[in-house]
Amino acid sequence: MSRSDLGTDPYDSVEDDRWIASASASRGEIDSLLQGAGYRVCSTDLRHVAIGLEQLESAMVGDQCVASSAEAIHYNPSDLTAWVDSMLSELAPDPHLPRHPHITATANTWADPTQQRPSLHGLENHHQHRSVPAVSLQSMDEEEDAAIRLVHLLVSCADYVQRGDSEMAGSLLGQTRLALARVNTGFGIGKVAGYFVDALCRRLYPPPLSAAGGGGSAANPEILHHHFYEACPYVKFAHFTANQAILEAFQGHDRVHVVDFNLMHGLQWPALIQALALRPGGPPLLRLTGVGPPSPDGRDALREVGLRLAELARSVQVRFAFRGVAATRLEHVRPWMFQVAPGEAVAVNTVLQLHRLLGDRASPEGGDAAAAEPIDTVLAWIVGLKPKIVTVVEQEADHNKPSFLDRFTEALFYYSTMFDSLEGGRAGGSHRGGHHHHHHQQQQQTVAEAYLQREMCNIVCCEGAARVERHEPLARWRDRLGRAGLRAVHLGSNAFKQASMLLTLFSGEGYCVEEADGCLTLGWHGRPLISASAWRADDDAALPCDHQTLLVLQDHSSSVTSGSNNVVDGDDHHLRQHSVVRNNDTGSGSSCSRV
Amino acid sequence: MAGSNEVNANESKMVVPLNTWVLISNFKLAYNMLRRPDGTFDRHLAEFLDRKVPANATPVNGVVSFDVLIDRPNNLLARIYRPAPSTASNAPLLTDLYRAPSADPFPVIIFFHGGSFAHSSSNSAIYDSLCRRFVSLCGAVVVSVNYRRSPEHKYPCAYDDGWAALKWASGEPWLRSGKDAKLRVFLAGDSSGGNIAHHVALRAAESGVEVAGNVLLNAMFGGNCRTESEKRLDGKYFVTIQDRDWYWKAYLPEGADRDHPACNPFGPNGVKLEGLPFTKSLVIVAGLDLVQDWQLAYADGLKKAGHYVKLVYREQATIGFYLLPNTNHFYQVMEEIKNFVSSNLL
Repeated sequence: MSRSDLGTDPYDSVEDDRWIASASASRGEIDSLLQGAGYRVCSTDLRHVAIGLEQLESAMVGDQCVASSAEAIHYNPSDLTAWVDSMLSELAPDPHLPRHPHITATANTWADPTQQRPSLHGLENHHQHRSVPAVSLQSMDEEEDAAIRLVHLLVSCADYVQRGDSEMAGSLLGQTRLALARVNTGFGIGKVAGYFVDALCRRLYPPPLSAAGGGGSAANPEILHHHFYEACPYVKFAHFTANQAILEAFQGHDRVHVVDFNLMHGLQWPALIQALALRPGGPPLLRLTGVGPPSPDGRDALREVGLRLAELARSVQVRFAFRGVAATRLEHVRPWMFQVAPGEAVAVNTVLQLHRLLGDRASPEGGDAAAAEPIDTVLAWIVGLKPKIVTVVEQEADHNKPSFLDRFTEALFYYSTMFDSLEGGRAGGSHRGGHHHHHHQQQQQTVAEAYLQREMCNIVCCEGAARVERHEPLARWRDRLGRAGLRAVHLGSNAFKQASMLLTLFSGEGYCVEEADGCLTLGWHGRPLISASAWRADDDAALPCDHQTLLVLQDHSSSVTSGSNNVVDGDDHHLRQHSVVRNNDTGSGSSCSRV
Repeated sequence: MAGSNEVNANESKMVVPLNTWVLISNFKLAYNMLRRPDGTFDRHLAEFLDRKVPANATPVNGVVSFDVLIDRPNNLLARIYRPAPSTASNAPLLTDLYRAPSADPFPVIIFFHGGSFAHSSSNSAIYDSLCRRFVSLCGAVVVSVNYRRSPEHKYPCAYDDGWAALKWASGEPWLRSGKDAKLRVFLAGDSSGGNIAHHVALRAAESGVEVAGNVLLNAMFGGNCRTESEKRLDGKYFVTIQDRDWYWKAYLPEGADRDHPACNPFGPNGVKLEGLPFTKSLVIVAGLDLVQDWQLAYADGLKKAGHYVKLVYREQATIGFYLLPNTNHFYQVMEEIKNFVSSNLL
């Protein structure tokens, strides 16, 4: 193999078709070409990885190895070095087994490390990224023009709102309503545009302060959420993925404590309780602390949920204790309220909550505010709890950009895709059950839309402390959680597979689960809409996981046993001892701590 | 796999740069795990392992991308790549994206990614890179079709999706250019994508839809008999006859053999191309690709039927040489593609 010296352009040669060696790569740098292909490998590791691939290939002849590799769980395929190494250690766990010596000897026949010729597109700055929805414009010119014009009007209007020109904005609003009439409001942009027009209107002409929050609906948020939960797979995916990670993290622990940042109807927990009941070696003692807003009408909603879950736990013989923490805002919660006992394995579960702790961003490029935001305080005490796992699910969008126009545009595209999925993602179930079932689904969808509309309204109409829907993309969360001292726990191919299967069962096609650097995202028509990730504090050693327990979750759907009328008979002792406890006394009581 | 592992590893190592060897070997290993002997495919693991990238409407090196839904009932998506609209600062509006990149004639390249009909997607990182390059290279709008894959969707699903994409493009006013406001469309693809390009072009010719040119990169063709190149190169450069057979079985209808016209267009069951307004073709063949005899026969078949074909034969190139910009093969073939497209942009 011929070499050229430095300074000669190796591509001058016409006769020699083969690549020619040149300057060596810097040590420790990531191979930029492989990075363009989605893999992160240090140039200096290339040889090692290559040898590993060769060894794996020789090892993987014959059905036996193929079968065992089918059961292997894969993590973070972008880290090719780790992937290859982990497969090697699975195939040849005995370190005394000789690796193929002749392969090692021939390793040097590779050409020298790659020339770092810059590829045409360099590193993408992940902060500068925008998705537009997979717009379905039927190939009728008029239809298409109308949709595009509608978007243009909406965005122009938002622009005037941002500039404070309410006269122009108002006039454009009128035009937009007219344009709405000419679009198909069945799906895509058309469907969601109406809601955005209303939201802009609200922002321009705010109603008197009596109205509660954005959206004007007096409906109970938990009910809205429940319908959203049923109508589409996003929240189920969140619960399912988080539960997998929690289950794994609880391996080998007898006393476990889950802290749920937003209990609502506790929909996530029956599945976890059942899975713990069935785990090899028996269930642990499970404590669940659920955070939620205080109930307005004197009820104790948190406790009611706790009672239902306690009932379920009892029926599957899982020792269970529940505590409710009522707080109007998350940043008012303090770690001592959870009363974490020494020796407990703690899981902190935050589904669509952390973004509420964010504030305004200081600069357009996303540098964070100098002052400590509530998020930093909360993350600090989460880490202080020394949790075995922190599960984080967030909307995959940047609805916290400093510019109102940017936020508006992002939200327009995000919710357009969301709404589209509600419409188009209705499962094979739409063919079952006939008319009544279809009607029920339609109702559910309508309420689910109302749930989303509240979010949208908050993003468009509110500012300051009132704007709580401050969604930020996974890339930013990674940075933030990393700075707080948390390290990612990679979600593997088993979690991915279960999520995919869940989707096939419960939802129509068009949804897509993707793996991204150890996290999972769920999206519609190629656009990720929600991300799920798991984290642990820096010092913890990762525990080996048992595959079998994870597969158990497959058999138990996350159907909710809604508040039953079963009287808790028989062993009252269980319930009294472990029921909701007031946080500042040791006896049992019926109220939750209020903040 | 024919031959000893030692020999195989040595041969392929000598002809590609290290990072290319790692990339393609990684695919080979992963793909081996996904194909099951009973003909089923581990789709979940495939999707988990495939490295994907999102569409990005923010310009990166002057190129933006966005996804469109071409066919709602089939959830058929395509990723559009285009030069960044000149109006936009950093955030092109939806309206800008759907505006023609120029008034002067520009090519629209409908691209079908490879993967032997079973692997990859329009949002796979390797194909995202390639499509972006085509935009810069040819000033083109590239439509990368996320066609349905086997074994879940056999022949002719991939061709139907390709045809749907062509029809869609024909209906988009912003894709037309020049004084005659015409769609100047090329069909391109690598591996199975090349095969799809041929069959969509054939349907276009039969339907009177004008295609400016076909670009076939290491196109996937085959037949019942074992050609000399297949026997000689079996297992030597990342690919085996056995895996080729598996993919054909997964794609072709139940009970069909490899002389089915989808697989062997110039074989005993092929459609006669004489007299059809079949487009011009640029056929690129890698000299270390074991199916080259079929690709060369394809080029020959086109010529004999009276159709223009330019053959580019890269003697020492392996499969996948176009995935990383680190060889002569890459740059010189890109140049050929650029010249072919510009000279047929009439």
